Amino acid sequence: MTDTVPPVSPARLPARVRVWDVPTRLVHWLVVALVAFSWWTAETGRMEWHRWSGYTLLGVVIFRIYWGLAGSSTARFGQFVHGPRVISSYLKGGWTAVPGHNPLGALSVIALLALLVTQATFGLFAVDVDGIESGPLSTYVSFETGRAAASWHEDIFDVLSALILLHVVAVLYYVLFRKEALIAAMLHGERAYSEPQPPPMQSASVVRLLLGVVLATALTWWVARAFQL
Amino acid sequence: MPRSLFRTLGSAVLVASLIAVAYAATPKETQHARHEHYEELGKAFKAIRDQSSAGSPDFAALQKNAEVVNEASVDQQQWFPKGTGPEAGKTRALPEIWTKPADFEAAQKMFSDRAPKLLAAVKAKDVDAVKAAFKETGGACKNCHDTFRGPEE
Repeated sequence: MTDTVPPVSPARLPARVRVWDVPTRLVHWLVVALVAFSWWTAETGRMEWHRWSGYTLLGVVIFRIYWGLAGSSTARFGQFVHGPRVISSYLKGGWTAVPGHNPLGALSVIALLALLVTQATFGLFAVDVDGIESGPLSTYVSFETGRAAASWHEDIFDVLSALILLHVVAVLYYVLFRKEALIAAMLHGERAYSEPQPPPMQSASVVRLLLGVVLATALTWWVARAFQL
Repeated sequence: MPRSLFRTLGSAVLVASLIAVAYAATPKETQHARHEHYEELGKAFKAIRDQSSAGSPDFAALQKNAEVVNEASVDQQQWFPKGTGPEAGKTRALPEIWTKPADFEAAQKMFSDRAPKLLAAVKAKDVDAVKAAFKETGGACKNCHDTFRGPEE
């Protein structure tokens, strides 16, 4: 891409830095859409669609975990997940901004991913009260265990909802009170930073991306087929 | 003589009604038994689903469970005597069962019409037919539940 921005006093304009790559942004909004769709299909008893929605969500989360290990720099867990010392220094304002999640937001990412994996797992083993609708892995457990899984699947959704609410409130706080355009950044992938300009995001290769997509799809397919090839 | 006959008859009636009362289930007991029956049915459905999606289905197990479903599809027509609705205690059985008896019977009949087809498919050892009949029979369950069963909790 060529730079077509006219040269207007660059010193006064904060530099626009690439923060999120396409896969990370796509994962984020797919999770939003799929969680909403999963909720709606469950509420209205469209269980065939609910299963498909769950499988897709599981695939997306598996990809995100892979991308957290092998993806672009700002998507990597090793880059943005910090211990309590860094988090507390961030809260005290003693942290230099780098593109990507801040140390506190990192907790939100990890908690949401962990909860989505847990939620999907219980869904895979869940059985409805009539023994008619069920997750593919319920074939390996008793009716009672399947019912317990379904009950956890319902309860964890409440925890997930609470965490999503917290996430949205926190993001709105940053946008409204700290004037950090987090939502826009998650849409177009860039953020404006005033001097000193932080180091830009390091993109992962397309080969890595394709490998991740194939891996996540294959793994999800295998699970959805109850490990039968 | 007629007086003692009366007495004999009278005590016989009394004893019979005492026995009847002792053996007749209370509405609460009927609700409980109904719940147990449906749980058995749920387990049978799960077993059929598990076996029909397994690599090599166990047709003996399939048949055993398809028979449970088939019998229940007829028996359930006796599981909802009057007075065993929400007025008798906590139940998901809605009052419509007793206020719209014709609709309820039609919904129950859908189940008893479809369950034999599931059993037939199992006996024919045709896994694809079993899966299709399972869907059909499950549809009959859902059809009735949509109108006559209340939400959980």
